[in-house]
Amino acid sequence: MTIQECYAALGGDYEDVIGRLRSERLVQKFVLKFPDDGSYRLLLSSLEEGNDAEAFRAAHTIKGMCQNLSFTRLANSSSELTEALRRGDREAALALLPQVKEDYERTTAAIAGFKAAIPL
Amino acid sequence: MAESRHPRKERILIVDDSEMNRSILADMLADEFDVEEAEDGEVAIKLLKEGGDYSLVLLDIVMPKMNGFDVLTEMSRTRMIEDLPVIMVSAETASDQIERAYSLGATDFIMRPFDASIVHRRVVNTILLYAKQKKLLGIIEEQLKEKEQSSSLMVDILSHIVEFRNGESGLHIRHVRTITEFLLKKLVKKTTKYPLTEAEISTISMASALHDIGKIAIDDKILNKPGKLTDEEFAVMKTHSLIGAQMLEALSNHREDPLVRCAYEICRWHHERYDGRGYPDGLKGDAIPISAQIVALADVYDALTSERVYKPPFSPEQAKEMILTGKCGVFNPILLECLKDEFTDIRDALMTDPGERSSRREVRSFADAVLHSKSTVSDRTLKLLDYERMKFNFYAELTEEIQFEYIVGEDLLKLSPWGAKKLGVNQEIVDPAHNAKLCEQLGANWFRGLNGFFAQTSAEHPEFRHECILRIGGEERWYSVIMHSIWTDDEPPRIGSVIGKLVDIHDVHTRITELRESSIRDPLTGLLNRSGASEEIAKKLSNFPAKQYAFAVFDIDNFKNANDIYGHLFGDRVLCEVSERILHNTRAGDVCARIGGDEFLVVFEYNVDIHPIIARIFRSVCGKVDDFDLTVSMGIAEMTEKGQSYNDIFRKADIALYVSKNAGRASYHFYDESMEETAVRPAESAGHGRMLSEIEDLDENERKGAKKE
Repeated sequence: MTIQECYAALGGDYEDVIGRLRSERLVQKFVLKFPDDGSYRLLLSSLEEGNDAEAFRAAHTIKGMCQNLSFTRLANSSSELTEALRRGDREAALALLPQVKEDYERTTAAIAGFKAAIPL
Repeated sequence: MAESRHPRKERILIVDDSEMNRSILADMLADEFDVEEAEDGEVAIKLLKEGGDYSLVLLDIVMPKMNGFDVLTEMSRTRMIEDLPVIMVSAETASDQIERAYSLGATDFIMRPFDASIVHRRVVNTILLYAKQKKLLGIIEEQLKEKEQSSSLMVDILSHIVEFRNGESGLHIRHVRTITEFLLKKLVKKTTKYPLTEAEISTISMASALHDIGKIAIDDKILNKPGKLTDEEFAVMKTHSLIGAQMLEALSNHREDPLVRCAYEICRWHHERYDGRGYPDGLKGDAIPISAQIVALADVYDALTSERVYKPPFSPEQAKEMILTGKCGVFNPILLECLKDEFTDIRDALMTDPGERSSRREVRSFADAVLHSKSTVSDRTLKLLDYERMKFNFYAELTEEIQFEYIVGEDLLKLSPWGAKKLGVNQEIVDPAHNAKLCEQLGANWFRGLNGFFAQTSAEHPEFRHECILRIGGEERWYSVIMHSIWTDDEPPRIGSVIGKLVDIHDVHTRITELRESSIRDPLTGLLNRSGASEEIAKKLSNFPAKQYAFAVFDIDNFKNANDIYGHLFGDRVLCEVSERILHNTRAGDVCARIGGDEFLVVFEYNVDIHPIIARIFRSVCGKVDDFDLTVSMGIAEMTEKGQSYNDIFRKADIALYVSKNAGRASYHFYDESMEETAVRPAESAGHGRMLSEIEDLDENERKGAKKE
């Protein structure tokens, strides 16, 4: 799996990210780092614990990372979730969560596939 | 913290809670900057307060503990934001968020997702901008310092003008200032009643010098009257304090300047008394500004210890006693204590008269000049110009050059006085191209020469030097012509004028020509010498490479015998005779040279059979000189290929010469390659030439065969 195929699989825009970051090496490095970021787990646990402020920051961070990496699909769903949490609309947030979950899992799966294809 | 490096990299602090976001930014900037990271606002503030010497902060907004706005607020509170630019990097797109960041002092706002090159550009620009700002601040500080120094100088000048009119020693101002400074410094230590800053103390001290400037308006006769003043005179004298104040008040542009405000107080109230019986306003106690109180005390002290037309000086101790006991004025008790405490220091300081004698002398002479000079500034400028003109004329006269200036716009030629005299024309000539006298002197085409210069000169290459023969004053002589065009500031620039000179270099030129001639000629025979010949021949070979040349080198046979038997004078005669004979039998374009003691060289161009030519030369050179039977041995080499060098042909002719010598002299031989081997053993060589005896009777046809033998 190439990095372009990985972007296609996770619903991202490879042309956009390479246009901004200018280096395939950098894009690859940050894509591989993405699953290690703790924000997603923090988002889930904060929502569970009812710590909406923390959940907002976590969602916001996910959105920011996705925007930097042009993970368009996840950027969109996490952005909607961020705005819901910013307004303190917990109900809406919980309604938006499954989409974020689906997109996040699709993203990490694609990255795992890409990682597996990298010769050691 | 990174260790210091050379050159030091600017340090950037990246504040973002997402490690990945920090890492993306750090990767973009790490090549050019020292990058440090903080994972939230608290860490960032801690690092900033440790004084990490950062040049820039990249700041996220949404962060745990302390968000970006909190960081900005803290930076504003501690005024850190004034020197340290902050660029916000955020996914926030709401305009109120961006507005808030700017209003808290952020320099720039970069929206996520960002473009690597834009981040890089903005970071670099911001750092450069702040560096420039810091430099500008430095420049302004420097200028302020200079301004303070120059205002101190102006104060000195002004106060000395007053003093000279007063006929005082010139030390009074300096003394009052010194005393004022001592008393002020003591006063702020003694009490908190008069909270004066360091800057205010310095301002008061400086302003103290102006306390008597009102005296400039007082009539000389009263000011310098030797005896006691009448009541009316004293009344006039007393007006000086108010007049001084009014003068300062009239400086409407500067009325708010601390120095002027302070000088106003001092001028107006330095004759008030603490008990309210002074003038002009009769102020009492601390209604009198402390600055004026102190200057009043200093003024009295110095007046007592100085000699005046109406009194001898009192000793410092006497003066102190008179003041402390109220015999001379009434002062603030705390100031009297200051005087008591500082008395020894003040006395010693005035006695040693601290410093700046030289700068005071400058001030004094300047003040002197202003006071006594009757001439106005424009007179002075005219005088300077006059002086410069005299100097110029003097030098021009000495150098004996025809100096000129041609002003294009006015078609006007100006000549130096000496030049005009030399040419017998006026110093200023309008339309010089058609001036009959000038054309007669310089030749009708002289102006065309100037126009030629116009065509080739440019602002980059304004100068022109040329040597030529000019007929000036009926005599043809060598001149050096030097011209320099002066260009206007227009775009494109035009020639405004041409300056230049004609320098008579005839004597030098003649001498150089003579020296050159003598360096290439043999003084005895007048023929070229070896170096002259080689130069001349090399020139011929390179200028006319297509022509055919032959070199004939010859020695006088048994010349040593001629010298030995008949003497050196005779030897010289033989050499001259040979030279005569050569010249008679060669053409003007041929090169004839004496290249050694009795060795000669003839180089000639030919395009017919060479043999009759050589035979004729050979025969003509030989023949008796008195009793000496003059014969020569000759070697000839022809140029065999184009571009052959002088040295090569000469060497070959020389080899042929040796062949002739070894064949028993009185003969000539043409070079051929077979001589190369035998040249080192000349004795064995023979048969390629002709003995004089053999050719004596040969006709043309037979001579042709000589070479083939």
